[in-house]
Amino acid sequence: MKFVENQPSDDTLDLVCRMCPLHLLEPGDKLKCLKKGQILEVLTDYDGALEDIPAWCQKCGQEFIGMEEDEDCYKLYIRKNN
Amino acid sequence: MRRVYMDHAAATPVRREVIEAMLPYFDEHFGNPSTIYDMGSKIKQVIEEQRVKVAKLIGAKAEEIIFTSSGAEANNLAIKGSALAKQKKGNHIIISAIEHHSVLNSARFLERMDFEVTFLSVDEYGLVDPERLASAMRPETIIVSIMHANNEIGTIEPITELSAICREREVSFHTDAVATVGNIPVDVNGLGVDLLSLSGVSLGAPKGIGALYFRDNLRLMPLIHGGIQERGRRGGTENVPAIVGLGRAAEIAVKELPDKTNHIGELRDLLVAGIHERIEQVKYTGHPDKRLPGHASFCIQAIEGEALLFMLNQEGIYANTGSACASKALKTSPVLVAIGIPPDLAQGSIVFTLNSSNTREEVEYVLEKLPFAVERLRSFSPIWGKKTAA
Amino acid sequence: MYSEKVIEHFSNPKNAGVIENADGIGEVGNPVCGDMMAFYIKVKNDKLADVKFKTFGCVAAIAVSSIVSEMAKGKTLKEAKSITKKAAAEALDGLPREKMHCSNLGAKALAEAIKDYEEKKYGKPKSATPQKKRKKPKRHITCSHCDAQNPITANFCMSCGKELNA
Repeated sequence: MKFVENQPSDDTLDLVCRMCPLHLLEPGDKLKCLKKGQILEVLTDYDGALEDIPAWCQKCGQEFIGMEEDEDCYKLYIRKNN
Repeated sequence: MRRVYMDHAAATPVRREVIEAMLPYFDEHFGNPSTIYDMGSKIKQVIEEQRVKVAKLIGAKAEEIIFTSSGAEANNLAIKGSALAKQKKGNHIIISAIEHHSVLNSARFLERMDFEVTFLSVDEYGLVDPERLASAMRPETIIVSIMHANNEIGTIEPITELSAICREREVSFHTDAVATVGNIPVDVNGLGVDLLSLSGVSLGAPKGIGALYFRDNLRLMPLIHGGIQERGRRGGTENVPAIVGLGRAAEIAVKELPDKTNHIGELRDLLVAGIHERIEQVKYTGHPDKRLPGHASFCIQAIEGEALLFMLNQEGIYANTGSACASKALKTSPVLVAIGIPPDLAQGSIVFTLNSSNTREEVEYVLEKLPFAVERLRSFSPIWGKKTAA
Repeated sequence: MYSEKVIEHFSNPKNAGVIENADGIGEVGNPVCGDMMAFYIKVKNDKLADVKFKTFGCVAAIAVSSIVSEMAKGKTLKEAKSITKKAAAEALDGLPREKMHCSNLGAKALAEAIKDYEEKKYGKPKSATPQKKRKKPKRHITCSHCDAQNPITANFCMSCGKELNA
C-alpha cells in the first residue's frame, strides 16, 4: 500500500457509511466528470476498500496514487488516466 | 349508509390516476431494477424518473431522495442514521416532546446506546420556542428533529427559525414533514433543513412507501444493509409499483396544491365555526392560525373520545381521537398532555382531517350529527355540568 | 372489535340517568383515567327496585354500565352483590382484553352503591374487639383496575399501566 500525505485533489467523493459494493461503483461514475490527469479523493470507512480500490484501478486503467488515514475515515487518491 | 370520511391524516384513498400508473409495474414491467439486462435497466430508469418528481415536490435535487417503506422508516433513518454517522463528533440529540412515535422511539433507542436526548417542551399551542432550542444546544449536539406540523393538534412549527439555529452550530436538522407534504408548500431550501421525511399515505399514494430527503451527500449510517439499491443507503429490492405511485401522486400534488389548500381551509373554517356555534364547552386545540389547512382538533368537555367516534361512525362519519380508551395502550395522548390539556378534558379529544374530496355538504352533515352525539353522551355523563372547559 | 351486544348496549343503554333521593350511590373511577361510573339504587323489601347509572367513558364502559344495571334490577341485594365482572363481560358476549377493566369498574360501582345503602341503613360495621393480629407480609399489590398482581415496589400496573394505590 502506498501512503501519501496532504495529497491535493480536484474533487472529493464521500462514501463514508456507504455500503459495499458502492465503493467500486461510485468512483467510476465520479471519474467520468473529471478530466484526464485530474485527481479524485475518495473517503471511505470500509476496510475492504483498501484492497478493492487499488485492484479496481488496475483493472480499469486508472492510477491509484495512495492513501492517508484520517480521523474518521480512509482517504484514497485516484488519478484519471482514461 | 353514506360515508363522510374526515380522517385523511390516517389514510387517504389512492387516486385513480395513481393506481393506473402503478398497474403495469406488477405484471408487464416486473423486472428487478438491479439486473443487467434491458428489462432491469428500463425499470431503473423509471425509478430515477419518480425520484425527480418527488424531489420537485419539495424543491430538492433528485440525488437527495432515498425511497423508504414509510414515513416512519424515513424518520428512523434520519435520526439513527445521522446519529450513528456523527457519533464521533458528539452524542446529544434534541427532539420536541410532541414528535411522532417513530422519532420519539428512535431517540429512546439511541439513549440506550449512550446517546443523550433532550425532549423540548412546547407551549400551549404545541409550538417549539427557538430560544428554548438555542439554550438546549450543547457542543456535543449532533442532531435536532422537530416535526413540520403535528397531526394531532395541527400546529405548524417555525422550522425556518429552528433550522437556522442548527445551521449556525453545524448541527444537522431533521423535520418530519409527513403531515405537511401535499397539504402546504414545502421547500427544503426555504425551510433550511438537512433531512426531511415524507409519506405516500398523505399524498394519495399507496401505503408502504415514503421518502427521506438528505442534503448534499450528508453522511447516514444505513439501517437496512443490502446491495446497491438507493446507492447503498437503503438495501432491499425496490417496491417499484409503490415508487411509481409515489411519483405520480407527487406530480398531482404539485399541480393541485394551491387549490387544495384553499378548498380544505375554507371547509375547515366552516366546520370549526359551526362546532363552536352548536356545542358549548369545547376547546379548539393547537394554534388557531399556524396550523394545517384541513385540520380541526377539539377537546369536548365531559365526554370520551372513543364513545363519540363510535356514535359518529354509526352515522357514517369517520374521524380520529387522542383519548386514552381509544389508544390501545390506554394512555392519554402525550401531545395533549404536553400542551397542558387537563387529563379529563383530554379524554374528549376528536380530530377531523379533510382533503380535496370533502365537500361543504359533508361538513354540514357533520354539524348536524355531532351536536346530537355530544348531547347524548353528556346526558349519560356524571361530570357534565360540574366543570368548565379549560 | 366489539360484539353486537356491546354495540347495542352502547347505542341504547338501559337505565341511564339518576335517581333523586337514591337509597345508595356508588362512584368509582375518575375522569382523569378515562372511566368514571356512578350507580344509583332504590331498594324495596331488600330488592333493587330501581337501578340507574351515569358513565363517563368509552363504548365498553357505557355498555357495561347498561348491562350491569339490567342484571341487577329486581334482584335481591345478595344476588346483586354477587354480580362479577366476568358475568358482566359474558352477558355482553365478551369484551376486548384491554377493555376488561371496564367490567371490573361496573361490578364495583354497583357494589359500592349497595355498600352505601347498607352503611346508611345499618351504620358502618363496628370494628371487632381489637385483637393483635399478626399482619401477613404483603407480597403483591393487586391493581384495582384489572386485578393483575404487581410487585410491592411497583407504582404503575405492569398489565394495564394505571397508577397503583399505595
